[in-house]
Amino acid sequence: MIRLESSSVPTWAIAPEVGTLDQRGRTFSLVVIGDPGSRHLPAARAIAEAWTAQLAARPAGAVVHRELPAEAAVAVLTADLHRALVGHRILLTGTARDCLAVRAAVLAAGAEDDEVVIGVVDATERTVWCVHCAATTVTTAALEGETSCSGCSRRLVVHPHVSRRTGHHLGYMADAEEQPWSWPEPRA
Amino acid sequence: MAGTTGMSGSVRERLRLVVVALDDSVPGIRSLVLADAGGAPLPPFTPGSHVVLEVPAGPPGSARPRPTANAYSLTGENAHPLDYRISVLRAREGGGSAWVHDLAVGDRVTALGPRSGFAPVQRAAKHLLLGAGIGVTPLVSHLRSAVRWGRDAELVHLHRSGAGAHAADLAELAARGARVTTVTDRESFTALLDDLLRTQPFGTHLYCCGPAGFMELVTAAAARSGWPASRVHTESFGVEALDPGAPFQVAVAGRTVEVPAGTSLLEALEDAGLAVPNLCRQGVCGECRVSVTVPEGGRLVHRDLYLDDDEKRAGRCAMACVSRALPTSGAAADLEVHL
Repeated sequence: MIRLESSSVPTWAIAPEVGTLDQRGRTFSLVVIGDPGSRHLPAARAIAEAWTAQLAARPAGAVVHRELPAEAAVAVLTADLHRALVGHRILLTGTARDCLAVRAAVLAAGAEDDEVVIGVVDATERTVWCVHCAATTVTTAALEGETSCSGCSRRLVVHPHVSRRTGHHLGYMADAEEQPWSWPEPRA
Repeated sequence: MAGTTGMSGSVRERLRLVVVALDDSVPGIRSLVLADAGGAPLPPFTPGSHVVLEVPAGPPGSARPRPTANAYSLTGENAHPLDYRISVLRAREGGGSAWVHDLAVGDRVTALGPRSGFAPVQRAAKHLLLGAGIGVTPLVSHLRSAVRWGRDAELVHLHRSGAGAHAADLAELAARGARVTTVTDRESFTALLDDLLRTQPFGTHLYCCGPAGFMELVTAAAARSGWPASRVHTESFGVEALDPGAPFQVAVAGRTVEVPAGTSLLEALEDAGLAVPNLCRQGVCGECRVSVTVPEGGRLVHRDLYLDDDEKRAGRCAMACVSRALPTSGAAADLEVHL
């Protein structure tokens, strides 16, 4: 049983969920995250429309609204936050996997959790980082489910931990405890 | 690692100190330099930390019939301190601050080791320090540390004309690159505040210390200017008069004790013949911490300055001197206390 209140996995990374917009923000970067043609874009655009409607009374320029793939979103948001003043908010909508990746960059650029609002449209895919070979695997496995590592082919358990720094879930070898093992040879 | 040998700042050891210097140059404010009575270095501390000074009882019939304890922010060097520096505003006659103002060089004092409750956020892009009156004291150590480590910091001090505590320290830190602004009337400060709060680079954290009215002014302006709660840090100074609260019942040691309005849990337990170790009796020192269980539907109101937010949320202990339970409708007792 995963106790989510003590886990680093946000609830929105388990099932789609739209965060509450903080009306106290003075300026906003709103990004619909997704590759062109992604089937999730229409739902993400709808969330973005709902947010912009709530911010309609803001002066021109207070809300910058963009639609970008994840890597491009990381670049523009990093640049935004470099110029921003306290009072700025970041609104992200897209898949949980994309939101986790972009959130990692936004936090690295100095944002606090209560400055980032996330609207997730789909949470079936996640990335898993292998502690053994450091490769990253995209999977639809659930938390505590298993997937095969794209780097070393080990069976990995998707541990209910998400790195705030990378947005990847932690993966470790499913049957590590049952493996034959011996003391390593002493180094010469 | 948590040390048991007494040098860790997190261990609240009792320090035997001696007054080695006094400065009364600012009216109503006394600055003291305290050193270890045996000449040893003192435990290092996080900027913004305070020590709790034990104040002995006054003579019988005086305004201070029992020992108490007051928290004072440390203003000096934090890394390898050879002395502790505090500044004390003379408040109520007969209280702890008046006792401090009567100390002489060479007098011995006892303090509980430094405790951090107002630490700088290490990842902050900039530290904005707003203090009023004697509330500048924890911010002096913040600014000192920021200058030492080359961190971006800006301090604004609001104080009455001619009553600027630590003016010399602040001037010295300004000369070493810190931005320091002094304002001597509230209107000028209010005029400056919104501008200041709306022009801070993203990543700035705000630290505010002063009288309750000042902190309300700053936190309200910060909220209005779009600051999220995570970037706003406040340190209460002095102890505000607490409201008497509603009466409640506690289950303790197999019996039920009534706590009337205006009587503290600590006093009620003492009246019932139950001993609770205590010192400051104002929610500062942590000495009267008791384990509690809050019944279903019950609520604990902490009101102390000792526990951190997580500990308060957990609701497993309380400071008997200031914490209260809200009356519940159904439960047999509003709070269980485990002595």
